[in-house]
Amino acid sequence: MENEKTRQIPLKDDNYTHNINRSNERSLDRRSFMKTMVGAAGLFAASTLPWGALAAKELMSSSSKSYPTQKIANLSDIKPGDAIEFAYPGEHDSALFVYVKEKEYKAYQNACTHLRCPVFWDRDEKELLCPCHHGKFDIATGNPLAGPPRRPLPEIVLQEKDGAVYAVGVKRYEEQL
Amino acid sequence: MKSSYRGVILLALILFASIVCTQYTVNMYFAQRYMEVLLLSGATVVLFPLAWMVFRKDQRDRREQGK
Repeated sequence: MENEKTRQIPLKDDNYTHNINRSNERSLDRRSFMKTMVGAAGLFAASTLPWGALAAKELMSSSSKSYPTQKIANLSDIKPGDAIEFAYPGEHDSALFVYVKEKEYKAYQNACTHLRCPVFWDRDEKELLCPCHHGKFDIATGNPLAGPPRRPLPEIVLQEKDGAVYAVGVKRYEEQL
Repeated sequence: MKSSYRGVILLALILFASIVCTQYTVNMYFAQRYMEVLLLSGATVVLFPLAWMVFRKDQRDRREQGK
């Protein structure tokens, strides 16, 4: 059995950090630097694969894509200048219907094309406004007017029937441009 | 150009191209231009073995030079 004296840590080593060589802790030599760059290139390559897979899936299914018909509102219940938020085509795809003026209404997917913040209808300025970075979109076309977004908001195809407005599809970008 | 810089600069360019391609892959996906997405993600995937080959060649050259 050890006695008390041999179990004691010598005074020069009693500091918990005596074995750390600090001067070499953060050095990155040429070889490691290049390895890091190769690793980063690999990381970027791996990160694009899911996008490629999603795109391939879309390409294979785009011809058979169909959208549901969904009632948004009765035109008698809303006034010009009003906006209604709804979900279309999926229950997690937020969309915004705007009754711009008499006999003129528009609907867009309600996610800013910059960082997908929800977009609001600015009734006074007659613009769609993303409050995150002050991106603005034209209500007539969905094109970006100001701020960081570069792409237009995807437009939802509307149909009026029996005094009510229905969402019947989402326009593809190629059709909008 | 000194050979010690060639590998580093080449790798930096490849990494830069990887970043640009990745960024465009995501942008093109949201713009619904799916064929471009496939091409760009393919380019990013091809850049990785290229980077690896540049690294291996650089290390081999340095060994031969006795560094």
